[in-house]
Amino acid sequence: MIVAENLSVHFRRGLLGPPIKALDGLSLEVGEGDFFALVGQNGAGKSTAMYCFLGLLRPKAGRLRVMGRVPELGSRLYETVAFLPEEPHYDLYLTVEEAVRYYAGLYGKPLPAKAISDVLERLGLAEFRTLPLAKCSKGMKQKVGIAQCLIYPAKLLFLDEPTRGLDPIIVRLFREVLREIHQGGATIVMNSHVLSEIEMLANRVAIIEKGRTIAQDSLENLMRLEQDFYDVAFEANDDAPAWVSVQARQGRVVRGTIPAARLHDFMEYVCQAGSRLLECSLKKATLEESFIKILRGKTL
Amino acid sequence: MNELLKVNLRAHFLYYRRSRLLLGFALVFLLLVLLTALPAVFSPSRTEAFTTAKKVFTTLNMYLIAFSAGLGLFLVSSHLHDRNLKMVFTKPCPPTLWLGSAYLSAIAVSLLVNAAILACALGMSLLGHTKVQAGLTFISLDTFAASLGMIAYLMFLAMVIHPIIAAVIVLVFNPSTFYALQLWTLAVYSAGHKSVFLHALERLFHYCYMALPMVHPFSRETQGIEESLRVAPAQWPYALYSLGYALSLTALSYCLSVFFLQRKKLI
Repeated sequence: MIVAENLSVHFRRGLLGPPIKALDGLSLEVGEGDFFALVGQNGAGKSTAMYCFLGLLRPKAGRLRVMGRVPELGSRLYETVAFLPEEPHYDLYLTVEEAVRYYAGLYGKPLPAKAISDVLERLGLAEFRTLPLAKCSKGMKQKVGIAQCLIYPAKLLFLDEPTRGLDPIIVRLFREVLREIHQGGATIVMNSHVLSEIEMLANRVAIIEKGRTIAQDSLENLMRLEQDFYDVAFEANDDAPAWVSVQARQGRVVRGTIPAARLHDFMEYVCQAGSRLLECSLKKATLEESFIKILRGKTL
Repeated sequence: MNELLKVNLRAHFLYYRRSRLLLGFALVFLLLVLLTALPAVFSPSRTEAFTTAKKVFTTLNMYLIAFSAGLGLFLVSSHLHDRNLKMVFTKPCPPTLWLGSAYLSAIAVSLLVNAAILACALGMSLLGHTKVQAGLTFISLDTFAASLGMIAYLMFLAMVIHPIIAAVIVLVFNPSTFYALQLWTLAVYSAGHKSVFLHALERLFHYCYMALPMVHPFSRETQGIEESLRVAPAQWPYALYSLGYALSLTALSYCLSVFFLQRKKLI
C-alpha cells in the first residue's frame, strides 16, 4: 500500500539557518489491510513522514509510492484516502454541519442520503450542527475531523494523533469505529503517543527516531522483546546468582528479574539455598517497554 | 469536476458572507458614500444632483476595485494562515481547481457589487431627472476589468508574501509611483546631472512601471469619461482592451499562483 525508501526531508529555520533533518533516510512498508502505527518521541519525524505519504511534503530524496503512485496534491489517488490531521486546521467560518458537508463534498461524489446527519448523530455532534467551528472546542473540532473521514468508505486512512483532546466516551467509540473500518478491509496508518491505544488497535508498528525507522515489525514481535522475563522476589542469605538482575534489596528480600530461560535454574537455586520464594510472575509485555528498550538500545 | 467546483464556490461564498474583515471594509465605504450622497437629497438643483450622482458613482467604483482586491487578498491569505488547505488537497481536489474556484467566487461577488453600483447610479439619474449617460456603462465595464486584474494580482501576492506586505506593495510600489520616479530621474538628468547611475535608475523605474500591473492601463485614452460621463465612439474599444489586459493579467497571475501553491508548505 505504501512503500517508502530512504526518504529525506530537510527544513530550514529562516533563510540562512542550518538545515534540520526531519527525515533522514526513512524506509518503511505498509501492507494492504495493515493497521500500521508510527511511534516515536516528539520531533522524531512521524508527522513529517505522514505528510510525505499524503503529498503535503515533497521528500528531498528517496522513493515513495502510495497505492503504486507518487502522491500529488489533490490527485485522483485521494478518491479512496481519508486524513485526520493532528491540529484541527479547518475552515473556521463554517458550521459543524457545513464543514463535514464541505470536506465530504470534496470527493466530488453525490453525498449518500442522510450520511451527514447519521455521522453527526453517531459522534454526538447533532445538537451542535449549526455551531461555527470557530466557537467549537478542540475536541469537537476533532470530532468534525473524524466525521469527515467516515462519510465515504476509505481504502487508506491516515490518522495523526486521532484521540488527542477527545473525551473517554468518544475515544472508545472512535476505537470501535476504527476496528470496524479496519475489519472492512481498510489500511490505516496512525501516529500516536498513546502506546496503550496502539496495543489495542495496531497490528504493525514502526518506531521512528531522528527521522529513521529503527524498528519495524508486527506488534506481537515487538512486544515479545520484553516477554521472556520473570519478575521475582525471594529471601536470600548470600549474594544472588549473576543472572538475577537485582532491582532492589531490603534486608534479606531481593527483588529483580530473571530471563525466562533461567526459570529452572532459579527454582533449583531457591530450593538448594532454602530461600523463601515471595513472587515469581511472567512480566506482562507492553509496547511501552519495548519502545523504551529499543530507543535505549539505539540512542544511548 | 462540476460538483467539486460547486462545493468550493459554496464554501468561498460562505467565507465572504461571514468574514468580519470584509464586512467592516464594506460598511466603512458604504458610510463614506452615504455621507457623500447626503447633500444631493436636500438639493433641488439638477446640476448638483448630477454632480453628486457622478461623485457617488465614481467613489463607489473606486471602492469596488479596492474591495475586489480585498476579496482576493483575504480569501487566499486567510486559508494559508489557517493552514486548512491541507484538508482540501488531501481530497481529490487539485490546487488548480481550488484556486480557479477562488477566482470565480471573487469575480462573481465583484460583478454583483458592480451591477448593484450601476443600478444605483441609474436609479439616482432617474430620480434626479437627469439623462442616463453611456459613461456609466463604460465606467462599470472598466471597473469590472480593473477588479478582475486586481483580484488576480492580489491573490498571487497573497500566495507568496504576507498580506500586509502585499497591500503595501499595491498601495506604494505601484506603476504610478514608478512613473513619478521615472519622471523625476528624467528631470534631474535633463537638468545636467548626467551620470550612468541616474540613467540606470531611470531605466529601472521604467521597467518597473511597465512590468507592474496597472489598474487602468488605458486611462490616457479614456480620460474625460469620468468627468463628463460621455463616451466617444473611438473610446468604446478601450473597454474591451481593458478587459483583454485584465484577462491576460489574470491568466499570468493564476499560473504563477498555482506554481507557488503547489510548492507551498501547507502543513
